[in-house]
Amino acid sequence: MKKKAYFKADEAVTGLGRFKGLEVRIGTIVDDEWDEPMGPTPLPSPTDLRSWDHKLLTKYQPSYMPYCQVCCLCTMGKCDLTGTKRGACGLDMKGQQARIVLAAANIGCAAHLAHSRHLVDHLIEKYGPRTPLIQGPGTEIHAPVSRLVTGMRPRTLEDASIIIDYCETQLNHTLSAVATGQEGSWLDFESKVFHVGMVDQLGMEIADLAQVSTLGMPQADPDAPLVESGIGMMDKEKAIILTIGHNIVPAASITDYITEKRLWDQAEVGGMCCTAWDITRRDPKAKVIGPISWQLRFIRRGLADVVVVDEQCVRTDIVTEARKVKSPVISTSDKAVMGLPDRTDDPIDSIVKELVSGKIDGCYISDHSIVGEVATKVAIALKPSRRKMKFLPTKKQIQKMAADCKKCSECIRACPNNQNVMEAVLAAETGNLEPLREVYKNCIGCARCESACPNDYDLHSWMVVAGEADCKDEKYMVRTGRGAIQDTEIRHVGQPIVFGEIPGIIAHVGCANYPGGGDDVHHMAEEFAKRRYIIVTSGCAAISMGHVRDENGQSIYERRSGEFDAGCVVNVGSCVANSHIAGAAIKIAAIFAKRNLRGNYAEIADYIHHRVGAVGISWGAMSQKAASIAAGFWRLGVPVIVGPHGSKYRRMLLGKAEEERDWTVYDARTGDRVVTAPGPEHLFYAAETVAEANVLTAKLVIRPNDTGKGRSIKLSHYIDIHETYYGFFPDDIWKYIRRETDIPITLKNKILAQMKENKWKEKKIPDPTLLKEQVIGGGT
Amino acid sequence: MVMKPVPWQTGEICGPNAAKAMKSADVLKRDLKNCKKRLLIVGSDALTEKHGKGDMIDYAIALSKAGNMDIIATGGAIKAFVERSYERAKTMGAMELAYRLQHEDWVGPFGKGPYDMIMIYGIPYYMQWTLLSAVMNFGTHITAIAIGRYFQPHAKWSFPNMKEKQYHTILDEILELVGGGK
Repeated sequence: MKKKAYFKADEAVTGLGRFKGLEVRIGTIVDDEWDEPMGPTPLPSPTDLRSWDHKLLTKYQPSYMPYCQVCCLCTMGKCDLTGTKRGACGLDMKGQQARIVLAAANIGCAAHLAHSRHLVDHLIEKYGPRTPLIQGPGTEIHAPVSRLVTGMRPRTLEDASIIIDYCETQLNHTLSAVATGQEGSWLDFESKVFHVGMVDQLGMEIADLAQVSTLGMPQADPDAPLVESGIGMMDKEKAIILTIGHNIVPAASITDYITEKRLWDQAEVGGMCCTAWDITRRDPKAKVIGPISWQLRFIRRGLADVVVVDEQCVRTDIVTEARKVKSPVISTSDKAVMGLPDRTDDPIDSIVKELVSGKIDGCYISDHSIVGEVATKVAIALKPSRRKMKFLPTKKQIQKMAADCKKCSECIRACPNNQNVMEAVLAAETGNLEPLREVYKNCIGCARCESACPNDYDLHSWMVVAGEADCKDEKYMVRTGRGAIQDTEIRHVGQPIVFGEIPGIIAHVGCANYPGGGDDVHHMAEEFAKRRYIIVTSGCAAISMGHVRDENGQSIYERRSGEFDAGCVVNVGSCVANSHIAGAAIKIAAIFAKRNLRGNYAEIADYIHHRVGAVGISWGAMSQKAASIAAGFWRLGVPVIVGPHGSKYRRMLLGKAEEERDWTVYDARTGDRVVTAPGPEHLFYAAETVAEANVLTAKLVIRPNDTGKGRSIKLSHYIDIHETYYGFFPDDIWKYIRRETDIPITLKNKILAQMKENKWKEKKIPDPTLLKEQVIGGGT
Repeated sequence: MVMKPVPWQTGEICGPNAAKAMKSADVLKRDLKNCKKRLLIVGSDALTEKHGKGDMIDYAIALSKAGNMDIIATGGAIKAFVERSYERAKTMGAMELAYRLQHEDWVGPFGKGPYDMIMIYGIPYYMQWTLLSAVMNFGTHITAIAIGRYFQPHAKWSFPNMKEKQYHTILDEILELVGGGK
C-alpha cells in the first residue's frame, strides 16, 4: 500500500530539539500489516489492463449507430465522416463514434468524481483526516473495489483522498485522449471507456464509503428503514423544502437544523433523485418524493416552499420554473450555480429576508452549514401565503385554451415517447381530460412539448391537472439505501450463485428516461424476484420500483426482504452506492473462491465474467453518468441492458452466438481450449420492450461455470419467460446443454428432440478463463 | 409537417446524406427489380397499429407472402405471428439486427441471406432511426426502405410524414407492386 503522510504541530518537543510550526511530509508508507500479496496491476494506468479489455472487445464487438455523421469538435470541421471518408484529423466514422462514447463516459465519471472529491474534502475538514472508514458490521472485506483496483485498503478519510487523487489523474488521461490528434483507434478508445468506467466505480465507492462512515447512514443494513415516498406523501400543512440532486451535504444541514430546532411539526423535507435516498438514509423522517423526471410535476403543483439544489440531474431551468410558482431557489454547488447571486457571506437574516420578499429569485450559498437554517426559515415564512396561491390552470381554463390549439402536431414531434399530446389537448377542448391523464402517466417530464407549442401553452401543467388524483394517490413505503452487502450474506449465497442455483443477480439502476412510465421497472423486478433471483437496485430506478402497490396496498419493499438473498429486493442507495453492487460480485470471488483481490483486476473480472450470473438493467438510462456506470460493469465482464432510449448511446457491445471461436476459453485445469455456450451473449444491449428485456435477462445470466443443476434452473426460467413473452419454445436451448444433467427434467422430451435435430454432442465443462496465466502451471 | 421529408422527431436530424421522399409506390420499382433477397423487419409498435380491417401484423404477412420476404419481428412482436401460425417469421432484437445487417455475409436466421434489401416499420421511431443509421453507414450493401408513417432520414426511401389515410393507401400500393393486392 502506498500512501503519503502529512502532519503538522504548532509546537513539538523532540529528541532533536524543540520545533515551532512543524510540518512533516512523508512520501510513502507501506501497509505491511496486510499480508495479501500484491497483484499485477495496482493503480493501473490507462493501458495496464488493455490486454483484458481487448479480450472482451474481441468477444463483444462494438456495433456503432452514428447519431451524427459529422464531427464538429475542431475548427478544421465540420468534417463529413460518411462512408469511408476520414476527417481532417484522420479519424474515421468508427473512431469518431468510439471517441464520443469515451467523451460521455468521461463526463459521467467526472460528475461522480467531483462529487466524491467534494464529500471527502468536506468530511476531512469537518471530522479530520484520521476519521475511520466503516462500511458496517460483517464487512471485513470493506471497499472491495478499492482493493481490487488500487491494491489499497482505505481505512481513513485521508486514504480516501489518496484514492481520489489516483482517480483524478486517470480521468485526466482518458479525457485528454479525446482531444484532436490523440487516440486514433476505435479499439483503444473503447479500452479507455472501460478504464474510465472502472475509475468511476472506484470514485463512487469512496464517495459512499465516506458518507456512510460519517453521516449516520445505514451501514450494510438489510433492515434499513422503510420511508414515505410519493407526491401524495408530502404534508401540505407543513412548510415543504424540496431538495434535488446527489450531494447529501447541504440537504443534511437542513434535516440537522430542523432536528436541532425541533421544527419537524412545522417543516417537511422531501428529496428527488439521489439526494432523496441520501437524506432518508441519514434521517428517515425525510421523504423520497420521486425520481429525476418528476421534478416539474412537483414544482408546477407549487408544493415546494423553497427549492434547494445541489449537483447532478437538476433541471437547468429550475430557477425559471420555481419563479413561476414563487418558490425561491437555493443553489449550493459550484457546479450548478444557475446564475444566482452569491450570498454566502451575508448575514442569514438578510438572506432570508431577500428570499422571502421575492426581491431575488434565489441565491447561491457555498457554505453548506448555513443552508439548513436559511432554507427552513424561508420555507416556514413563505408557507402561509403560498398555500393561498393557485398555480395550475383550472379545468375550464384548459378547455378554453385547448379550443385554440393550432393542430400543428409539434407537441407530438417534440415528445421523446411520441405521445399523442395533441389528441389529448383536443379531447380537453370537449372537457375530457382522461387522454391528458394517460399522457401524464407515461410522461418523463421533459416539457419539450411546451417548448414546441406555438401557443406557448404550459402543456405539462395541464397534464398535472389531469393527473391530480393520481398525484394525491402517490403514497408508498420504500426501503432506503442499506449500503454495502455483508460478507456473511455473500458467504451464504456465494456458492448457489456461482453454481447457478440462485439463477442470477439482477441490478436495476439508473435514471428515469422510461419509454412508457416507471411501472415497467417494478414489473421487471417482480418478474424475477418471484423466480428467486436476487434483485439489487439503486438511484431513480429504486424509487420507481417502489411506486407500485399490490392488491394489499404494499410496495415491493414491503413485500420483500432487503437481504442479499434469493427473492429479495436490495436497495443499496443512491447512484454512488452502485459501487456496492460491483463490490458484491467482487466479494464473491474473494469469499467463495478465495481469490486475492489486491491489485488483481483481470483475474477477478475474468472470474466474475465466467461465474457470477449478474445482469445490470438501466431501463431509463439517460445520462453520461449512466454510461460510465455501465462501463465499470463492462470491464468486470457484467452485461448491461438499457431501455430503447439507450440506443441513443449509439454503440452496443454484441456477441455472435454462432462464432465458436468467440466462446472458446481455456480450461484452467488442463490448458485445453474448450468451446462453451454463448453466455453471456452480449455485453451492452438496448431492448425495445419489456418483453425483450425480460427474455434477454433470463438468457444473459447463463455462465460457463454453471453446474448441471444451476444450468437446468436457468434454462427453465429462460424457457418459461420466452414462452410467456414470445409465445413459443426457444429454438436455441440445445446450444446451452453440455451434458444431459443440464436438461430441465419437465421439458426433457422437447429438449432431447431439439438436440437430436441439431446433432448435439456432449461438451466438456471447463474451469473457464480467458487468461492463459490462470491455467494451472501458467499455461505453458 | 405533413408530406415533408423532415425527421418526425424534430431533433433527430441526420448528416450530409438523407433519404429520398417516397410519395408513391412506383419509385420502388427499380430497387425491387434489382434486389431479390428482401427482408421485412417488423417492430413492436406494429401490434397496435391498424391497417384496413386488420392490423400491421396482417399487413406484414400479406407483404411477406406477396413479396417472397422473410420476416424478422423485434421486441416481442413475434408472438403475434406465432398466434397467427405464420411460420415465415423469426425473432431477433432490433440492436442485433442493426449489427448483423452491417455484415455482407450474414445469411440471417432463415439461412437464406445475405439480404440486399430491408423493408422496415414498427420499431419506436428513435430506435429505428439508430438502426437505420447503422445500415446507412456500415451496411452499404443494403437498400433500406422505411415503410413506417414517418420520415426516417437514414433509409434510402422513406415516406414524408404521411397523413394516416394516405399512408394506408400507399401501403396497399406497395403490396400490389410486390405482387399482392386486394
